[in-house]
Amino acid sequence: MQLRQSKSIRHAVATVTAAVLGSAPGTRAEPNKFEGSLLLYSERDRVQAAEGVIGFTLPVKGERVIGLKLTFDGLTGPSPNGASPSRRIQTFTGASGGNTLTAPAGEIPLDNSFRDTRYAVDASLVQPLGRTTAASFGGHYSSEHDYAAFGFSTGLTQDLFRKNTTIGLSAAFSHDLISAEGGAPVPLSAMPPPGEGEDEPEHEEEGNEGDDDHEGTDDQRNKNVFDAVASLTQIVDRYTIVRVNYSFSHSSGYLNDPYKILSVVQDQHGDEPGEPVQYLYESRPESRDKQAVFAEVRRYLGGNTLDVSYRFFWDDWGITSRTADMTYRQQLGGGQSLKPHVRWYRQTAADFYRQFLIDGQPLPGHASADYRLGAFDAYTFGLQYTLPVGERIHLSLTGEYYLQRGKRGPPEAFGSLRDLDLFPDLDALMFRLGFTSEF
Amino acid sequence: MRRGPAACFVLTGLFGLGALSGCAPMGVEVWERDVLAKPEMQLDAGAIDRALDDHIYFSKEASSGGSGFGGGGCGCN
Repeated sequence: MQLRQSKSIRHAVATVTAAVLGSAPGTRAEPNKFEGSLLLYSERDRVQAAEGVIGFTLPVKGERVIGLKLTFDGLTGPSPNGASPSRRIQTFTGASGGNTLTAPAGEIPLDNSFRDTRYAVDASLVQPLGRTTAASFGGHYSSEHDYAAFGFSTGLTQDLFRKNTTIGLSAAFSHDLISAEGGAPVPLSAMPPPGEGEDEPEHEEEGNEGDDDHEGTDDQRNKNVFDAVASLTQIVDRYTIVRVNYSFSHSSGYLNDPYKILSVVQDQHGDEPGEPVQYLYESRPESRDKQAVFAEVRRYLGGNTLDVSYRFFWDDWGITSRTADMTYRQQLGGGQSLKPHVRWYRQTAADFYRQFLIDGQPLPGHASADYRLGAFDAYTFGLQYTLPVGERIHLSLTGEYYLQRGKRGPPEAFGSLRDLDLFPDLDALMFRLGFTSEF
Repeated sequence: MRRGPAACFVLTGLFGLGALSGCAPMGVEVWERDVLAKPEMQLDAGAIDRALDDHIYFSKEASSGGSGFGGGGCGCN
């Protein structure tokens, strides 16, 4: 009997630990765990990134559990700056230090000056409050050269109906500080031509279009994010477990990407319709409410496991998305397993998404050409191989392919834009090496 | 009355926690948890892998959240 009670509490502990770490609630605890993963991410002709994570989950004095997760990542490589392609060579001011970037004729302009490293620390404490209830507390800190975030979270889970049902409620708050290279630009102000504001200080004032605090360290912006997740996990039968989550997130403050711009192009009656006249920094609303409903079912099928999930997401920027995800774990001999993975994603564009603005027309209140706010479909195909290398140690190798595809030639394109690829495919390869050790 | 899982979740969504009693007949006894106790049946298994994936999708797509917190703490490009 005592053993059953203990399992129950550990069950709750695992659920809350997962909630604190922003992952999935589960039904079984494995508190003595040391795990790690190394991810290599490579986009074709674009961003290259590496990310390493190690995590510890340790019981302290019985059922109290502390968790610690350390993350380190680095990225480099070109990323679209938001400008539309042109028939001519284009030059821009780069994100890092005002260097000059050149985009070849006919190609989507990329900013290749991104180089960043980031580290993050997550700590959690789970405290049982009786046989079927557990509370959790967590803290987060992350830092990049131009971005830092401090956060904390708390949650509560309750087992019901002989521990067949678990309900949970968790909340998190994050305060983020953005220290953009060269200062955060005034939204919809003109990007200064390359070279200005760098070696020629006399051009600074002109180039910054009245952004008096452009220079210096006081040009820090901030953003607050409040998250809440309500979850219901239900054991359906001996082989099936189901989970439904509702999540809400409110962001306020500086939500722009300070390095993204839009092209203002000549109108239909210009000498060169569709060719850029100038570039403006993007402008997003200063608040955003995001909501999502997520459902997942996992079923044991004669030694193998099928997991299917679906998420419907919507926000007040006009974006909705649908995500369907499926993994099938095939048990092999000797404790090995193979896990194919398929993910499908579709999102609509934000109301203020514009691939370009037209010269002579009134400026909209908000506008962004960030492709991540556009409409696209994305597909992931992956395969994971897991191998036991000791009594309680498992290694896993994962390879995944990610493809993102939007509208290359939207109907609103005209002039030279009609013949150019405004939304080139993004595809990436991912490799992960992971290990899990229980002790 | 024994309700199916769909009815259980719909009722809970419509009427709140009070309707959770509709879920009570579902589930298993303690001695029937052998399969559900397997590591591969834990919904939180592979949390680190999932966090890495979420970080990528958070950086490349406009959506976040659902399975956990929506995230922040990253000026991802």
